Amino acid sequence: MIEENQTGDNKSSKRRFIILLASSITMALALVVISMYIYGISGAAQLDLSRPGYVTVRSQATDGSVDVNYSSVGNIDQSSITDFKKVYSQQSQKIKTADAFSGDPLGDDSLGLTVTN
Amino acid sequence: MIKMKKPIATIVLILALTCGLVSIVAVKALAQSVGHSDAQVTIIKDNCVTIKSNLNQLHASDALLRVNMGQLYESMLTKLMDKFNSRLSDNHYDNSSFVFVAGGYSSTLNAFRTDYIDYEKQLSSTIAIDCASHPNDFYSAVSSARAKRNQVRSDVVKLNQYLDNYETAVNGFEINYQATHTEAVK
Repeated sequence: MIEENQTGDNKSSKRRFIILLASSITMALALVVISMYIYGISGAAQLDLSRPGYVTVRSQATDGSVDVNYSSVGNIDQSSITDFKKVYSQQSQKIKTADAFSGDPLGDDSLGLTVTN
Repeated sequence: MIKMKKPIATIVLILALTCGLVSIVAVKALAQSVGHSDAQVTIIKDNCVTIKSNLNQLHASDALLRVNMGQLYESMLTKLMDKFNSRLSDNHYDNSSFVFVAGGYSSTLNAFRTDYIDYEKQLSSTIAIDCASHPNDFYSAVSSARAKRNQVRSDVVKLNQYLDNYETAVNGFEINYQATHTEAVK
């Protein structure tokens, strides 16, 4: 009788262990799917230079610490306006010089799709 | 009965020929409308590897550009415009024109982010197409990616315009400030 009870307990705990494992794996898979979905739709995938296709340019990414320092508190006087204008102009110039996404690299000429007669 | 069938057969034949002719013309017109010819299809097939390599390079360089420029654009808003607006407000100056420009800039920055995602997805799917076996699909995808990249470019132009507008507003504010303080001194 006692042996039968012990065997029953063993089977029951074994089953519970298997259920625990299966549910853990299912939950982990579900979380991975959800996180990958969020990664895809949030735009993070487009900014993630650790992806395999971006190996060549990864090292050229700036670290994001833009050297801009202008306080949101303090008086407004000629000096503070001049300081702001100086910093603003420097940063603005940096952006305009880059002239991002200009040109037509997807044009027929750039891709060598122009038919020459 | 047989006499009746002959004209019908002739009409059917004429209709079939007309349909055939019209469909050939339509297909050619469609090909022209998306801007590619048979010769271009041949070029795509022959240079598929090179074209894809170019697209992969563009994909990587545009991603880098997006990351670096995104940081710069973001910093202009959060580290400069917002802070200056806040400072003006704290000192009881009318900052409505600055807030208006910064609002437009912020909306355009959001559009830039969204449009870049669309463009990147389109470019990725273009690169995934086997251009050797599906040159027409590939060309259409390239055209679509081109249009989406132009949209990103248009957002960049707008952002730069907002940067200029904000600078103009600051200059205007400075002139008013100087005029007010000169009068006060007098």
